[in-house]
Amino acid sequence: MSSDEVVIDRRKFLSLATWAIGVLIGAGMGIPAIAFIIGPALQSEEEQVWIRLGSVSKVALGVPTLFKTTIERKTGWIVNEEQRSVYVLTEDGRDFVAMSNVCTHLGCRVRWIEDREEFFCPCHNGVFDKQGSVVDGPPPRPLDRYEVKVEDDLLYILGG
Amino acid sequence: MAARIGDWLDQRFGWRSVWQAVFLRKIPKVNWWYTLGSATLFVAINQGVTGILLTTYYVPTPDHAYESIQYITTQVPAGWLIRGLHHWGASAMVMLTVLHMLRVIVAGAYKFPREMTWFTGVLLLIVVLGFGFTGYLLPWDQKAYWATTVGTRIAGVTPFIGDWILKIMRGGEGLSAVTLARFFGTHVWILPLTLILLLGTHLYLIVRIGISSVPKKGE
Repeated sequence: MSSDEVVIDRRKFLSLATWAIGVLIGAGMGIPAIAFIIGPALQSEEEQVWIRLGSVSKVALGVPTLFKTTIERKTGWIVNEEQRSVYVLTEDGRDFVAMSNVCTHLGCRVRWIEDREEFFCPCHNGVFDKQGSVVDGPPPRPLDRYEVKVEDDLLYILGG
Repeated sequence: MAARIGDWLDQRFGWRSVWQAVFLRKIPKVNWWYTLGSATLFVAINQGVTGILLTTYYVPTPDHAYESIQYITTQVPAGWLIRGLHHWGASAMVMLTVLHMLRVIVAGAYKFPREMTWFTGVLLLIVVLGFGFTGYLLPWDQKAYWATTVGTRIAGVTPFIGDWILKIMRGGEGLSAVTLARFFGTHVWILPLTLILLLGTHLYLIVRIGISSVPKKGE
């Protein structure tokens, strides 16, 4: 045996083997445990579906019109009905803009103030114009828009 | 560097002497039957870890218990594994505990000066069976429901105080949300704390007294 060879005696070998098995078991338990805990962050987002809002004829020309609809949302093993409110605007009766009523600041609900011709958020006085652009207050970006389609005179938005 | 940090910490914690006393203590030459206690301890740790993980998804109410467990098994990453380890570990726990006890009986290891190790061990067996009984209800399926109906009824035939015991176990006349909640509370709080106290004593005594050697003929 040459002198630079590492000598591993029985005691040392058993000690190392015990540690190695311990590390293996620890990893075997630890990795699934981490996956188990962080699971919700690994799941893919819910896919988007076309949600029916209502008849096109309900939308007034040049005035954001409020549509309320309920969608089913699954969280964990529980299915909930969730209210969705959407403002639909059209200038010519053919092109439609659907805007979320959720303020882009901190998620309160905005409402259309008829005589001031603006959306107003009561939480921190955020103001948006008819198109949803920010006019005043803390909101960082315009109101979120949905993709819209019209089928058989019915309005649909793409959402999840 | 690592050795220097180790030394620095050891001067403050003195963990090397503890390590020495717990893991490097001298033991008599024994056989594989003497590893059953360690095997039970290993599975107990498995039950603790997987059990804590399961509580991060499980909901102990009649309208959510079953579905939350289905969710764990089918939707949560490694959920089937964590639940499976806990489920099969429960059976392994009871078997290993009983085998460990049989070895102690056969080797006569319960005698002086180890009587207290034996007594805490007997109580630990009851705790393990309690874990099994309370845990069995938690999936809230047909098997769980009727097993607990029968199990509590058996306790209910105790003379004089049977009816009283039955009502305490069920939290009322029949099985309900109250039963599920108290079985869950017992399973995750009362029994684990009792286990830790008893097991701590049990292990302290093993380290302090040392394990018995294999008895010889004529002793």
